[in-house]
Amino acid sequence: MFRDFAEWLQTTGISVKVQSITWLIPVLQSIHILMIGIVFVSSLMITLRVVGSMRADEPFATVWGRFAPWMWSGLVVMALTGLVLIIGEPVREFSSVSFWLKMSLLAISLTSIFVFGRTLRPEMLTSATGEFSTGRKAAALATVVLWLAIIFLGRAIAYDAAVWGHLHT
Amino acid sequence: MTAPSIVEVVEASAPAEWMRMSLLSMPVVEAIHVLTAAIVFGTILIIDLRLLGFPNTRRPFTRIEHELLRYTWGAFIISVVTGILMFAANATTYYGNTAFRLKMLALLVAGMNMAVFELVIKRGVASWDKDVAPARAARFAGAASIVIWTAVIVIARWIAWTKGYGAGASIPDNVNFDFSTQ
Repeated sequence: MFRDFAEWLQTTGISVKVQSITWLIPVLQSIHILMIGIVFVSSLMITLRVVGSMRADEPFATVWGRFAPWMWSGLVVMALTGLVLIIGEPVREFSSVSFWLKMSLLAISLTSIFVFGRTLRPEMLTSATGEFSTGRKAAALATVVLWLAIIFLGRAIAYDAAVWGHLHT
Repeated sequence: MTAPSIVEVVEASAPAEWMRMSLLSMPVVEAIHVLTAAIVFGTILIIDLRLLGFPNTRRPFTRIEHELLRYTWGAFIISVVTGILMFAANATTYYGNTAFRLKMLALLVAGMNMAVFELVIKRGVASWDKDVAPARAARFAGAASIVIWTAVIVIARWIAWTKGYGAGASIPDNVNFDFSTQ
């Protein structure tokens, strides 16, 4: 089903257009990688504050206010550049095990960040001394591990057969 | 020993052979390279933006720099090691590649910018560490750093798209991966 969709998408005007501009894909990939730096490091800064090993003298709200907008904006740019990359090479992406795993982990990671923000007690936001629960620290660290896996899978799309062997179709 | 012959020795080395023969070595090493390069870029960007006075000057510059540089250097060292492995796999090809040479040049410029900042400009940090706009030279170094590191990453991605083969050079037989799929 996805294969048929990908093959159809590859023949559409917009996909052909993306394929025909030779510099477009490397430029989009470069922007995508620059955004990894912004998103991953922003997420890392927030996580390090949650576990108490960075900017522990500042209230969590200050650290969140400094880095969360960069994380979300970076994610938006990554989604947009990623989308155009998919449109440019749909068959390659949709037939890749790494691509689907990456999208699944991305959904888990984004959900966990949303839930983390939604369930935060107000006093944790403004307190410079309050310590996060072990569960929250573990959840924050798990998000970083998820990002690491997502970044690895992103690169692995180019090597799907080598990484996944017979699972690669 | 001439430079080209050193490159040939590197390409014939055991780690280079491992990079070419193992199925997983290239994707794993490349992924670590991308990740660590991203950490270098992201952490330096925070320091550079602080030099430009963003988002504010309340947190002392020296403190932000001290907190982050351990991550920057840790990631940079891993990035260099993985970069050398990737280079070794097809050393003669990369050596003749214009984009690769430009990237090395950009890294050199980034290093020089950092050296001038750390050894000269930062001497006066006490007067702009907190609550005031950093000195003009410090702001310039911060802006230059953002531009240079962005260039390093863009040029790096460009290496894979120039197919690695310099003008007139023939494609070596031992190149085992097709750049066009990357």
